[in-house]
Order: sequence, then C-alpha cells, then structure tokens
Amino acid sequence: MSELKAGTNLEKVFKAGHFAVTAELGPPKSADVEVINKKVQYLKGNVDAVNITDNQTAIVRMSSIAAGALVLQQGLEPVIQITCRDRNRIAIQSDVLGAYALGLKNILCLTGDHQKFGNHGTCKNVFDLDSIQLIQALKTMRDEKQFICGDEIKNSKKAPIVEPRILIGAAANPFADPFEFRVIRLAKKVNAGVDFIQTQCVYDMERFEEWMKQVRERGLHKQVKIMAGLTPLKAVGMAKYMRDNVAGLSVPDYYIDRLSGAEDAPAEGIKICVEQIKRLKEIEGVAGVHIMAIEWERRVPEIVEAAGLLPRP
Amino acid sequence: MREKKKIIAFCCENSSLKAAYAVTDQSILDAIEIIRLPCSGKAEIGLVLKCFENGHPGVLILGCPVDNCKYLTGNVRARKRVGMVKKALREAGIDENRVQMDFISSVDSHKFMNIVKEMEERLAPTAR
Amino acid sequence: MITAVQKPFDEISEMVKGHDKLLILGCGSCVTVCMAGGEKEVGILASTLRLFNKQNNISMEIIEDTIERQCDREFFDAVKDKILRADAVLSMACGAGVQFCAEVFEGKRVLPALNTRFYGATEQQGIWSECCAGCGSCVLDKFGGICPIARCSKSLLNGPCGGSQEGKCEVDPENIDCGWQLIYDRMKSLGLLHKLEENEPINDWSTGRDGGPGKIIREDMVL
Repeated sequence: MSELKAGTNLEKVFKAGHFAVTAELGPPKSADVEVINKKVQYLKGNVDAVNITDNQTAIVRMSSIAAGALVLQQGLEPVIQITCRDRNRIAIQSDVLGAYALGLKNILCLTGDHQKFGNHGTCKNVFDLDSIQLIQALKTMRDEKQFICGDEIKNSKKAPIVEPRILIGAAANPFADPFEFRVIRLAKKVNAGVDFIQTQCVYDMERFEEWMKQVRERGLHKQVKIMAGLTPLKAVGMAKYMRDNVAGLSVPDYYIDRLSGAEDAPAEGIKICVEQIKRLKEIEGVAGVHIMAIEWERRVPEIVEAAGLLPRP
Repeated sequence: MREKKKIIAFCCENSSLKAAYAVTDQSILDAIEIIRLPCSGKAEIGLVLKCFENGHPGVLILGCPVDNCKYLTGNVRARKRVGMVKKALREAGIDENRVQMDFISSVDSHKFMNIVKEMEERLAPTAR
Repeated sequence: MITAVQKPFDEISEMVKGHDKLLILGCGSCVTVCMAGGEKEVGILASTLRLFNKQNNISMEIIEDTIERQCDREFFDAVKDKILRADAVLSMACGAGVQFCAEVFEGKRVLPALNTRFYGATEQQGIWSECCAGCGSCVLDKFGGICPIARCSKSLLNGPCGGSQEGKCEVDPENIDCGWQLIYDRMKSLGLLHKLEENEPINDWSTGRDGGPGKIIREDMVL
C-alpha cells in the first residue's frame, strides 16, 4: 500500500527512505510558553519531528498535547507521547481525538515511568492499558474507525465517521532484561500495529547491534521503522549516573574514560554522539535517530550537522 | 510500703544460669529474680513487656555466646526480640535501656556480676 | 491470606484516647499467620498501651481477647459480653474483620489497630509478599502461575517494561522482583515461551474493584 496512513512529515521521510532525525522537547514545569518557543528555535529545520514528552519521569509538566499544539503553531511537527500511567482508556481516546483535531498526528505509545520516580509519589496510577494495548487501540481507531468498545467513531448515527489518522509510534528497550525477550516484545508491538519505534538511548553499541541482529532475523526491520535513541553525555557525572541509576541503561567504561580525560567534556560528549550516529547509519534496519538531549536542546543542531544529516528533507 | 520489685534475669540454662550459680556475692543474687529458660530465645516479647507492666525496673536476657546456641540461633533471635521490646518501650515513653541483652558463657560469672551490678546501679535512682 | 501490619503506635494511642474501657480483640485467622493481629500481638499491644497509659497518667482498663475469625458472625458469640461492656473495641483484624465487628455490634466504636496490606503468601518465615490482586478474572493459566497484575508494579499484561534489570523491578530493586522476569523464566522452563508472544488483549477490569464493591451470592447456600 503506497497510501500514507497519517500524512505527517515524519511518515513521508520514512516513506522516502531518508534517514530520519527526531529530537525530544520536554514541556516546561510551568505554564511558561517561552520555554517551548526557545527550544523550538533550536530544533526547527534540524529535525523531522520532535517528541513532546508526557510528564516524563512522572514529574508534572505542561500537557504534551497542549505543548505539541504550541510547537505545531511554530512550524515544527510534534510527536505526542501518551503514557498509560495517568489516564484510562476513556481519557486516552478522548485525548487522541483532541490531538488529531489540533493537527497532532504522530503519537508515541508508552507505558510510562512509575510515579515513584516523580514528584507525586503518593498518587494512584492507572495502567488501564499497557503500551502494546495502547498501540492496538490507536490502530483500531485509525483503521477500523472504532473505539475500543466497538462503537464507530462518529458523533451520531447519521454523522460521518471522522477517525483520527495517526502515525503510531512506540518505544523499545534493547538493554533491559530479560534480553532474549526484548525482541519478542518488539514483535508484539509490531503485531499490535506500530509504525515506528524509538529505542532507549544507546551507549552499548555491541549490545545494540546484537539486538538489531535479532530484529533482522525476525524480519521486523521491514515491518517497522526503527529509530535508535541517543542522549549526548554532558559530563562524566551524568554518564556515571546513567550507568548506575537508570534501569536498562549500560554506559560502557570507554565512554566514561573519554569524558573524564577530555578537556572539554561536553564537546567530547557531542563528539561521541556524532560517532554513534555515523555508526548507526551503517546498521541494516536502523531507519533514523532520535536525539534525546535532556535540557540540552540547543546543542542538537551541531550534532545533526556534524553527523552529516543536514539539510533535512 | 510495697515490696521492692527486682530486676528480672531471664537466664539460659546452658550458659548464664550456670554462671549465676557460680556467683558468690549475695548482694548480686539479691538484686535479681532469675527465670530459668531452656534457651534465651524463649523470652517472648509479650512476656518481657509483662515484667515491666508488673513493675519490675529492668529485664536482662542472658543467652549463650553468639554462634554457641544449643538451638543454633535462639540467642540471635532473642537479640532481635529485645530490639522489638526496646521499640515498644520507646513507644510507651520508657527508657529502652531498661531491657538488655547479653551473651555470657557458663564459666563467666564475673561478666554476669558486672552486668547485674551495672544495671542495678543505673536503675537505682528510679527503682522503687 | 490477607496480610497486615500494625499501625504506628502513636496513631493507635491517639485513636484510643478517651476510652475508659478498651477491648483489644485479636483475630485467629490470616493476621495470626502473618503475625500482626493474633493472640501474641494482642498481648504485646496491650502491654505497650498499659505502659504508655501509666507513663502518661491515663486511666484506661484494657481487656484482651482473640477470636477465631472476625469476618464470620458466629465467632463473636464468645466475646459478646466483653464487647458490650467495653467503651471501644480496638480490633486487630484485617479491614474486613474491623468492619464486620462494627456491623455486628451496631453502636459500638470499633477501631483498627492494623493497616491491611494485601493478599499474599509466606515467602519465608517472617517475610510475606503480595501474590493476588483480587481482579475477579484469574489469568494465572496464561502466565505460568505468576500473576502480572499483582506482581508487576504496573500490572502490565504485555510486559516487561524497560525497568526490568537483573530480575528486579526498578521501582524497588531491593525488595521487588520483576514479575515479568519471573513469568518469563517460568514459561521458558515449562516450554511455553511461545505463548508469551501472543498479544494480551485490552482487559476487562469490571470484575474487580473497578466494577464497584464486590458481592458473591450462592443461591443454594442462602438461608
């Protein structure tokens, strides 16, 4: 089928076979629109789309849909993250309709970080759906034109069906355990109908390549666009923190050594990131990179440029 | 005037009780009321608290040296139970040091005397 | 069993304040097994409370008793008089027992001494862990006898999430095993790993708490 599912810029980039580049934009922990505008200026023209995180690490931030709408107004295409932590299927489907109505047509389906890690640890979580079921729900809405309950997506009996035409994304973590199950879980997401995948940030290239090998053995790279996640390391401390405290992340010692030996650690971190991109481009089945420069969006343009990924299509 | 309540000494029959029998200083023996146990691990939390309820100023739980329990871990368990008793005493607003766990070998009557003497002196001002 | 732990003593002493005659009532079933509200625990709490009251010049008569179960009407007969004579009952049963005691003795103040935790099993002596979430629609056949709803921190039916590391859950790596690692290992040893490749459909939660307070009626048994 040559027809586009959602017709977003990101989908077109994939379709055309370009090496896609996306970045991440964390909405502010306040109602300050300026924060978004500033980050958009760094990223606009340098990436194909930008992920708007949904209360990442369970810390309250501006809603991903509202921030996404603001980003779109500025001429940058958003990928809206939706987690299963805070909303049940009623709220999620309602939000998907709303997001689509606002012109937000890329949605990334996530389970969501546990609230324990955030600033409202005493709250109740939802997890009515899990990420795989969320993918399935969005696909049903888009392709079957039905809600989860089976009702058609129309305002009344005589009204036309107006379904949200969404490009469906999801995450994959090649580094968590059980390792052998990681590709199976990706296959489950593919079966559920996901269109593109962003991975957890990659540092351990060997393990990532091993995972990609398993992906290719199952032929999954032909059914879904896989974008490798990258987070440039700002400092040795950050690298060590990621290594020691983030579940499912392994930062090899040789990167830590390079950073601690460097005069300009941030520059070295960016250099490492660029090297990684160049290596990732050579791996069969990697369709792009997703750069998660945490509160470091301003350095994304130079990474993209140094990796030879400019201009964007 | 009510009879002065003594310090209760829960003594394991395999060690501290034998040490107690070898004590010659009558004043030490007069200061305590010995309760013979087959193992210090037999001193239940509720039983120890009951001693305080009944007005005893202090309780000693005297077991075998660590790693030398006839029942393998009775003495170590007793120490953990004493921890629970201390917690209850704190909650009730009572000095937690009124209960004390010690490990005594059967031949160490000297240590036995010192432990009793120390607690007796410590609790003397408040003892009725 | 239903597991529970004792409330902080401060909370209990504050709760029972002002009652001249208090019955501390233990329960001989689940909470005895998990060592939170049986006869022994009744004795310990009663002693602690008496010592506390003495220290604080509070005059309160504390009576102790324990019945077989506080979630069945018939067992209350044995302590009926004691309950009626007390100003308040400090129940050391689970939440069900406390409520049932209050229901049986209308007009009596019944107070909870425990925090009820979960449906669990004795992992080893002194350690209890949650096994069942009472969802009302058992899925254990699909997951090798390990419940993802109760034992995954996010109740994922298609787990594990990215927070599974070396068999532990990132929510509390010291104390929580990754339920999905357990499921994976069990299914692998059963030769049923292929079953986990099937997508678990969106769940119907209405058979559990989300359907409102549950009720079971056995017509053949109803009097």
